Amino acid sequence: MECTIIAETSGNSIHPITAQLVGAASSLGAVPTVVVPGGIGAEDAASIDGVSKVVSVVGDCFSTFDGGAWASAISPQCSGVVIAGATSIGREVASRVAAKKGIPIIQDATGLASGITITRPIYSGKAVETSTVSGDCVITLRANAFDAAGSGGSASVNVVDQSADVSIAVKEAISKASERLDVSEADIIISGGRGIGQKENFSHLDEVADLIGAAVGASRAVVDEWGMPHSMQVGQTGKTVTPSLYIAVGISGAIQHLAGMRSSKYIVAINKDPDAPIFGVADYGIVATWEEAVPALKSALAAL
Amino acid sequence: MPYEALDFYDVDSLLTDEERMVRDMVRDFVDEEVIPKIEHACRDGVFPDEWRVALGEMGVLGAPLEGYDCPGLSYTAYGVICRELERGDSGLRSFASVQGSLAMYPIWDFGSEEQKQHYLPKMASGEWIGCFGLTEPDYGSNPGDMITKAEDMGDYYLLNGAKMWITNGTIAQLAVVWAKLDGVIRGFIVEKDDPGFSAPEMKGKHSLKASVTSELVFQDCKIPKDRILPGVKGLRGPFSCLNNARYGISWGAVGAAQACFDSAKDYALSRIQFTHPIASYQLVQNKLAWMLREITKAQLLAYHLGQKKDAGTWIPEHISLAKMNNVDIALEIAREARDIHGANGILDEYCIMRHMANLESVKTYEGTHDIHNLILGRHITGIQAFTREL
Amino acid sequence: MTIAVLLKQVPDTTAKISVNGGRVDENAVSKWSFSPYDEYALEAALQLKESAGGDLVAITAGPARCEKLLRDAAAVGADTLVHVSAENINDLDSTQVQNLLAAAVQKSGASVIFCGKQAADTNAGSTGPGVAELIGASCVTLVSEVSSDGSEYTATRPSSAGHEKVAVSAPCVFALDKGITEMRRPNVRGIMMAKKKPIETWSVDDLGIDIGATGVSIDSHSPPAEKPPGQKFEGAESVSTVVGKLRDEANVI
Ligand SMILES: Cc1cc2nc3c(=O)[nH]c(=O)nc-3n(C[C@H](O)[C@H](O)[C@H](O)COP(=O)(O)OP(=O)(O)OC[C@H]3O[C@@H](n4cnc5c(N)ncnc54)[C@H](O)[C@@H]3O)c2cc1C
Ligand SMILES: Cc1cc2nc3c(=O)[nH]c(=O)nc-3n(C[C@H](O)[C@H](O)[C@H](O)COP(=O)(O)OP(=O)(O)OC[C@H]3O[C@@H](n4cnc5c(N)ncnc54)[C@H](O)[C@@H]3O)c2cc1C
Repeated sequence: MECTIIAETSGNSIHPITAQLVGAASSLGAVPTVVVPGGIGAEDAASIDGVSKVVSVVGDCFSTFDGGAWASAISPQCSGVVIAGATSIGREVASRVAAKKGIPIIQDATGLASGITITRPIYSGKAVETSTVSGDCVITLRANAFDAAGSGGSASVNVVDQSADVSIAVKEAISKASERLDVSEADIIISGGRGIGQKENFSHLDEVADLIGAAVGASRAVVDEWGMPHSMQVGQTGKTVTPSLYIAVGISGAIQHLAGMRSSKYIVAINKDPDAPIFGVADYGIVATWEEAVPALKSALAAL
Repeated sequence: MPYEALDFYDVDSLLTDEERMVRDMVRDFVDEEVIPKIEHACRDGVFPDEWRVALGEMGVLGAPLEGYDCPGLSYTAYGVICRELERGDSGLRSFASVQGSLAMYPIWDFGSEEQKQHYLPKMASGEWIGCFGLTEPDYGSNPGDMITKAEDMGDYYLLNGAKMWITNGTIAQLAVVWAKLDGVIRGFIVEKDDPGFSAPEMKGKHSLKASVTSELVFQDCKIPKDRILPGVKGLRGPFSCLNNARYGISWGAVGAAQACFDSAKDYALSRIQFTHPIASYQLVQNKLAWMLREITKAQLLAYHLGQKKDAGTWIPEHISLAKMNNVDIALEIAREARDIHGANGILDEYCIMRHMANLESVKTYEGTHDIHNLILGRHITGIQAFTREL
Repeated sequence: MTIAVLLKQVPDTTAKISVNGGRVDENAVSKWSFSPYDEYALEAALQLKESAGGDLVAITAGPARCEKLLRDAAAVGADTLVHVSAENINDLDSTQVQNLLAAAVQKSGASVIFCGKQAADTNAGSTGPGVAELIGASCVTLVSEVSSDGSEYTATRPSSAGHEKVAVSAPCVFALDKGITEMRRPNVRGIMMAKKKPIETWSVDDLGIDIGATGVSIDSHSPPAEKPPGQKFEGAESVSTVVGKLRDEANVI
């Protein structure tokens, strides 16, 4: 099966999802070509196991993100089944490539089988769709849903000079607002309760939140007693939240708290009391003090 | 999270698309602007001014009235608006009922062309608030014997007397006041700054705390001659207004009942006693099933009455029955819901006790429960039983 | 100037999804709504229309139930309503859908197009860039704000350093992320006008295109795999195991 992978770059190197894309392609029996937009990390890509060759597409257009221009520049190098990461850049470039070629695109696949049969969550994970594509197509893959290919390969790198007209001009950079996400909007929330001991200790939760782009929430006990902002309160009289991941630290799991977070997709509880009711709703419960568990959490997340 | 109302028989599927759009608009407003703020408003005993602005912007005030920048919606839509508002709070619905049915309506139906053009557009937009002065300290269920009087002084009218329990009184720019002119009840438009008029607020309510209730005091209050409502004489004037407001209440009560049911259901499912959710016990299920039954009947009653209002085939007794029944079951549902919530039910963290206390007023105003019984009794037997004289 | 907004009707994000006979049962969906990002698209389009002038065309492709969406759009200010009728919209592949929408955009004469960054049913995000490709337009995605100085359009989008303002010229497509203003609430006047507004229904024939056959066949829909029962670990040493599971089992980080 002919297969092209559009590599994802991050900073000055290749993004780890690229190896997962190769791993997924290999599982279908393909020996893919990896196209590297802008050429960043082409050597890294060449060292991924199972890659037949790397095409490093270089051109002026890659200095600004314009999905249309990028797709124009790399599209001639893409043939067969095209695979990209379901990241924001990956999705956009892949959509453009698909539209250019007039072939269908399926985004955010979490499973692939030869055929090609594609599985993806639909309706925010409330159902799963399995579909089959007959001809060429573009597929984007969800990060971390596929095993990464190893490194040790030594594919050749062809450099192709190809630019395209960029129609987007950057006028002004606005530096990152330091403002933290609101719990009602965040996809990941880490909340603290009375078990955290005192208000100042929330800084440890803030650090974890910064690492993974999470919002910080709180139980009512700490909102009332330590004067944390009410907007942080999760629960019946606070916000009702449904993030993909809810991490409860030092929260007992009173029903009024559960009322606000039990529909979270995944719940992690850190509590020193093995009988705390929060463990009744946790997918992953960790019986430990936060003093030990939160630093461990920080380093494990930083290592990802 | 958008609210999904209890609607067991899918009664709302009978609404027109337009009525459903209006419903969703008001429902959204209540979820986003009212429910998060209502407990504060109650604690502070104020009607938040931004709600007046929002009701005006949505364009729902005086819903079924046509022309003069009024919405021109169906009576059914007006009912739906009341229901959605009262799911938030009866005080909010009271504001809208008084503005639309008790202040705008009499001007619209009995006012002169000049009065309509002058007052209705700014009342529809919410710029001006109106109130309705019928009840007096000594005349509640029996307004026909009112003592507030108007005298024709040649180039003005002179009003003397006092009205009591007047919703919106203190915050209103105008009052539609019913007073006797030569022994005949007539309607007058009194403006806030008219000399001899004052509207002190009544404090200390345990019910409808987020609604302003006032006295209206007239001490040699002088109003221009063109403020009399030319189109009506006698009790028919205030009663026509009350018919519309009571009709709205029959829908509104359903909203309050829905809110109590929702809270009771959620609570029963999550509250664990004797190792199981209390919702798993038959006694609690019985209460919930009874609530569902009564709410469903009340919804059908309100909807059908709405159709009759729109078709013009109603009689006041139809309205009496619906107002009385729906408020009665809503109040009973609030009480049962309070019970299901245990001690938590008395806290203002839950809506229950607020609705329950509110509904006590709703049971009394716009014709007490028993006055409606008497109206129906008279209808059935042909014998009035309001007074001892037959 | 004509501005178009592409709107998709999806099950409300709070609605239960049930699977019946290997397919998501659409009849069991209790409530259909705008896809949430489309609401931001509509609001941004209304704001652009108010500041720069022009006519706003709301376009939706789908079965008859989608007309409600157009009425809702009209109630807040859409001028023209276009329903691209496609009873079987969910069986069409991305190419077919984009061809329908691109043809509708072209027929409407719009040169500035708004849509949501992704629709809440598939969360794909292919439509904005795909339509842009087909009509030869620039496309800016993940946009939170759009303004115009009369000749150029400025959009705010995220960048590695935070945010950036970028300029594009028409024809252009903006795929909206959560914008800075929530969609406005309608009012009764808007609702009454919406009721009277005609909906133009365009079939594939009206659009004069051939969308061919689908390249993707849906084999089945199934409920999501049951979550494994909760797992409990002792001690802080287990944190790294849990983080691994969050990544590989749960796929949430
Ligand atoms: C009407 C009403 C509404 C309410 N609404 C809400 C609401 O919206 N939200 C809400 O959260 N609550 C609400 N509550 C309060 C709720 O009942 C609980 O009181 C509250 O959630 C308890 O907060 P907590 O879990 O932080 O504290 P606690 O219940 O005191 O729990 C602290 C937990 O920390 C653990 N712990 C202690 N030390 C450590 C350590 N070193 N490391 C790890 N774990 C430790 C303990 O084992 C314990 O489980 C409401 C209550 C009522 C009556
Ligand atoms: C919060 C609130 C807001 C209000 N807003 C307004 C307003 O905006 N404008 C306005 O004009 N009024 C308003 N009212 C007044 C309301 O309409 C009156 O309270 C109502 O008509 C009842 O009158 P009453 O309170 O004097 O009770 P009464 O008439 O004294 O009744 C007391 C009890 O006696 C019973 N009763 C009376 N007559 C009979 C009978 N013949 N046979 C058997 N039982 C009888 C009643 O059913 C009741 O149980 C408001 C009241 C409240 C509480």
